[in-house]
Amino acid sequence: MGSPPLFFQWSSKALPWLAIISIIVFSIGMVWGIFYSPTDYKQGDVYRIIYIHVPSAILGQSILMFMAICGFITVVWRVKISGMLIKSAASIGASFTLIALITGSIWGKPTWGTWWVWDARLTSTLILFFIYTAIIGLHSSLDDKTKADRAISILSLVGIAIIPIIKKSVDWWYTLHQPSTFTLSSAPSMAPDMYQPLLVCVLGFYLIFAFLLTMNLRAEIVFREKNKTWVSKQYLNRQKNDK
Amino acid sequence: MKSDIYNWFFLILKRDLLIAFRRSSTYITPLIFFLIVVSFFPLALSPDQDFLRSLAPGVIWIAALLSSLLAVETIFSEDFKDGTLDEFFVTNEPSFVLVFAKVLCHWLITGLPILLASAISSIILYLPASSFLPMICSLILGTFFMSLLGAMGAALSLGRSAILSSIIVLPFSIPTLLMGTAVVSSAINNQDYSGFLLIMGAMLAIGIPGLCLLTVEAILLNYE
Amino acid sequence: MLPKLKVKNLSCSRADNLLFHDLNFEVVAGKNIEIIGSNGSGKTTLLRILLGLINIGEGKLEWLDNEENYNHYRSIDCFYQGHSLGIKNLLSAHENLSLSSYSFGASEEKIAYALDRVGIKNHLSFTSELSVGQKKRISIARWLLKDFGIYFIDEPFSALDDQATSLIIEIIEELNAKGASFVITGHRASDVISNQIFLDHEV
Repeated sequence: MGSPPLFFQWSSKALPWLAIISIIVFSIGMVWGIFYSPTDYKQGDVYRIIYIHVPSAILGQSILMFMAICGFITVVWRVKISGMLIKSAASIGASFTLIALITGSIWGKPTWGTWWVWDARLTSTLILFFIYTAIIGLHSSLDDKTKADRAISILSLVGIAIIPIIKKSVDWWYTLHQPSTFTLSSAPSMAPDMYQPLLVCVLGFYLIFAFLLTMNLRAEIVFREKNKTWVSKQYLNRQKNDK
Repeated sequence: MKSDIYNWFFLILKRDLLIAFRRSSTYITPLIFFLIVVSFFPLALSPDQDFLRSLAPGVIWIAALLSSLLAVETIFSEDFKDGTLDEFFVTNEPSFVLVFAKVLCHWLITGLPILLASAISSIILYLPASSFLPMICSLILGTFFMSLLGAMGAALSLGRSAILSSIIVLPFSIPTLLMGTAVVSSAINNQDYSGFLLIMGAMLAIGIPGLCLLTVEAILLNYE
Repeated sequence: MLPKLKVKNLSCSRADNLLFHDLNFEVVAGKNIEIIGSNGSGKTTLLRILLGLINIGEGKLEWLDNEENYNHYRSIDCFYQGHSLGIKNLLSAHENLSLSSYSFGASEEKIAYALDRVGIKNHLSFTSELSVGQKKRISIARWLLKDFGIYFIDEPFSALDDQATSLIIEIIEELNAKGASFVITGHRASDVISNQIFLDHEV
């Protein structure tokens, strides 16, 4: 499975199933959460955005952890595909983090009156987003993509090491400067019938991530191996030297 | 005199200090850049004493982060181009110790001007005198950590622009920023700041071996 | 005479191009190896693999017939010079030699002898003020700082005039007589007496 062409063949078969399962679970979670869960007595219906906000935030952090593990494998064992996995996962992770930021902001507007507030969790999420952009920026700036993969392996390892320190220090910083008003980022105390759809949503988001990751990785493989015959046979239905 | 780690250490020290001494821009530029950045704040905002005093810890730390980051940008590029860096990896000695020696040298050359600039800035930003010594201590720990981080960033983006290196390194320097400003602010309010200094020290303790090892990996990438 | 370095079945790929495959050669005392190939044929990569800058893909390197001596031998007895000259512009010729990592254990007389042998007279001016030819000579002077066992030089003859070329050949012959070996690379065969290995680059 470590060989890109082999992964490509295997994933071509697995992809339809993955797509179907992820879309089903995702849709169930979303519909249940947004339409069928009870109204919160304190925040009304606007809290429903947590069904997008919380899973996105969880995914944003888990994906960085995933990238760090792949990074470790790439640096220590020099496996090619784990390097490509980091690159494929990075943009997905950045997108989820951005969604978490935007939904957090949307959540804040009706409750606080402002589009942004520098509270501990939003600020940590913003810094997480910057770490993603650092990784993506570094990869895009290096022309030799194998070298770029190894470079972002190193960066994701540093990233995962510094995340706990960032969270602790931002938490502390926020308590120092905390305004007297209630912080919005803590989710409302959850009744079970609010909690269950949230779990389904989180699972749905993870499956969607797996699906998107596979798609990204396949695209990355085709891009890197574009000069190989198996790619031309696959996509162009002709031999390499035909015109 | 055989090739062992002490000889290597002093070799790097002698060589780099000599070259830096002959190229004065190496140690003058961080100083001047720091002062320019600091000057922008009263210019862009307000020269009011109380206002600047409230901003002082943050402004000094921001200027310190940016100056040490930009200063360390070229730490490896010259050595890589003229082939001197290869010697670090062909030798028997552990390369990460040699990289550490190089970063230490570089910090001695650029960090001390930054400390001087911060001293000047504390006057022009009306920083209370009681917080001067804690500020210097925090800056010593912080700028060294920045040099380590920046060296790794420079190794990863060897040959690319400084601004790329900045977006790679700056997110990871946020804890240093938070802790460093905490030291100065606590000192101004006569609170205990030793905890923050300890955390910065701990970050250095983990950072020195960890970042140097990763920097070696990053430099070796450029040989492939 | 036991070989100092045995290269066995060395293969290497770069960006999925096979650079060389099943390379075998031995470096014996007093005898040189010349690696000849066009641009991109893997000469520099091969040197870097031999010295440990790049990980070995497939194959084995045996140093002094005993792999355990590898690290020690490599650092004490090998001299490496890549594409660049390995000298610093802001140091004088003398400082470039005394502050080189290859000078551990070299005495003042050795340094003076080395500079003299390559024909550098003005010891005190900064290297940046010297001509390219003189810079090359300082770079060559480093070879004489110690009695190295194997010299790995990447393209020693590139961009050199005839005088400097014959100087290098003389020095190589002198050092060969003392038992040192050279592993050099180049675009075409030079006048150095050596075992020639051609790395052909098949497109």
